[in-house]
Amino acid sequence: MNFSDHIDRSFDDQLSQEEWDALQQAIVADPELRQEYVEKRWLHATLAAESESLRGLLEESPWTQTAPPKRSATWLAAAAAVVLFGLSLVLFLQSRPEPVIATLIEAENCRWAGSDLPTLEGAGLGSGTLALIEGMATIQFKSGATVTLEAPSVLVVESAMKCRLVEGSVVANVPESAHGFTIDTAQMEVIDLGTRFGVTTTSLGDSNVFVFEGEVKVNRDDLPEPKHVFAGDSLVSRIGAIPERTDQEVRRVDPPASSPGPDWTALSTSVGRGRDTFVRRGDRHGPTGSHPLLMIKHTDLAPHNERRVLLSFDLAGIDRASLRSAKLALKLEPSGLGFSSLVPDSRFAVYGLVDPEAAAWSEDDLTWKNAGALVEKPIQESTATRLAEFEVRKGSPNGLIEVSSDVFVDFLRSHSSEIISLVIVRETGESDQQGLVHAFASKEHPSATAPTLWLQTNHEK
Amino acid sequence: MEDSTPIPSTTPDDRAEHYLVLLSEHERALAAYVHALVPDRLDAEDILQSCKLTMWKQFGNFAPGSHFLAWARKIAFHQILNHRRSTKRKPLYSAEPAFLEAIATEIDRVSDTLSDRSEALHECLKRLPENQRRLVLLRYYEDHDIAAIAKETDRTEAAVYKLFSRLRTALNDCVKARLDSSAA
Repeated sequence: MNFSDHIDRSFDDQLSQEEWDALQQAIVADPELRQEYVEKRWLHATLAAESESLRGLLEESPWTQTAPPKRSATWLAAAAAVVLFGLSLVLFLQSRPEPVIATLIEAENCRWAGSDLPTLEGAGLGSGTLALIEGMATIQFKSGATVTLEAPSVLVVESAMKCRLVEGSVVANVPESAHGFTIDTAQMEVIDLGTRFGVTTTSLGDSNVFVFEGEVKVNRDDLPEPKHVFAGDSLVSRIGAIPERTDQEVRRVDPPASSPGPDWTALSTSVGRGRDTFVRRGDRHGPTGSHPLLMIKHTDLAPHNERRVLLSFDLAGIDRASLRSAKLALKLEPSGLGFSSLVPDSRFAVYGLVDPEAAAWSEDDLTWKNAGALVEKPIQESTATRLAEFEVRKGSPNGLIEVSSDVFVDFLRSHSSEIISLVIVRETGESDQQGLVHAFASKEHPSATAPTLWLQTNHEK
Repeated sequence: MEDSTPIPSTTPDDRAEHYLVLLSEHERALAAYVHALVPDRLDAEDILQSCKLTMWKQFGNFAPGSHFLAWARKIAFHQILNHRRSTKRKPLYSAEPAFLEAIATEIDRVSDTLSDRSEALHECLKRLPENQRRLVLLRYYEDHDIAAIAKETDRTEAAVYKLFSRLRTALNDCVKARLDSSAA
């Protein structure tokens, strides 16, 4: 019997149960065959386990790679130079008026808060803090490095070669003249080696580095030595507590802000049998119904990262016949994942589920793999009706979105079930795999308003 | 840092941080281990999830400075046996405990070479010709089975199966060659 062939066939589900049993027995009995099996199996398993990084890896061609950098002594010298430079700058600053070390070259739809630096386009910047609440701003450092800041972010400009990201996301473009340009975060120090790269941090303290081109070096206290990160790769560090599902669901008691008028009723996803969740195509972590953020993304570049949002509202007790208008309110929240500068203004569509079977999803166990018709592309008319669409402008990850349309009101009026269920999809893609993941607050969010359906009914009746 | 031995953790936050650092360092190797012992990909992912939770719960028993991956593999192996016992549906290929034991022992035996192998595999993947890259992406990244790939590439299932068999052999040979040349 050719067991070698059996081994290969077992990976592709091509063996009968009898053949598999025979193979198992042979492997237990024969050390050589066992070795061969483990070699092949391990290869197969590694490919399966690392599937998400395969695409980046396979698109990296060996002959376009830059030569590996010289390490050790050169690095120490470079690092020492940066430190010395920073030190001399500090001494220099103490005795002289603030010199200009960078220029704010672009400020798109920006709103600023708490900045101690000028925020007008074209302004020269000394060392100090920039706090961007809305929009995108690009700073060119005297060294030639440019850093694009995506709201909401707080960045401290320290020198022509260094800045510190307190919170938020930046994308850095560093020409040769500025090699060694450094971005500091609370957790790590990212030193450029001729690249385009992005750094994000969240208010939880996680820091992530994504390298789009070239190479960076990362120093982190918990790493015994600096880590080099190359194009297409990322280094993700999560230092927050391990997210564990709490048995007690967090229920919001305060009503959503800004009632449009006395005849409006607010129904959030935390009312009655309301639910909210998102599903991600490549998810390996089980249902995300209790996550504080509802994450959404469309991408043709990394299919595993496709995400859709699902909402259900409990309309029990609402007189549907007298419904006059309705709107859906969603609170945009920064997801901490991906970069806004890599996605265009984004368009989203809201669908209302008409298939009762599809609408019966439960947030305790819904995942992409068991979502069936909910994750079809495009969504079938027999599953759902397109109700409305909305846009989120580039660089505005905060803010409240309100969606309404006549079709939406008709849908609510005519749909007979007490529970109405909506699917939200992002229709626009991204120019790089590290494009922004949009997020809305869910009913589990500790501070922001849950998805809310506002309904206006006739009182005269 | 002068001392690379992790300092024993004290506060819960330190402990979590310590755990996450070790986990992120060894996550891929652990995933490959579980996938190697559990043929069904979804089962493997479930086991890996519950394994990480169990490891966190038992992290107090882990002696700082000792071999994290070996400790993790032990826990994973128990999870695999438990999963096998508890699962109601019988997977396509259910593995016998004696078989699992034999494979796990063999993996432990060669575990020192696995990280070198992993690196060699990455290099070999980068050097694959275009058509084979596409196969790897379809099978492992897009998660298509043989039947779906046959349909997509307009081939018979038997032909696709042969292509994969050849692809794996080529990768395995490449990995071996790289390991041999670096050992020489």
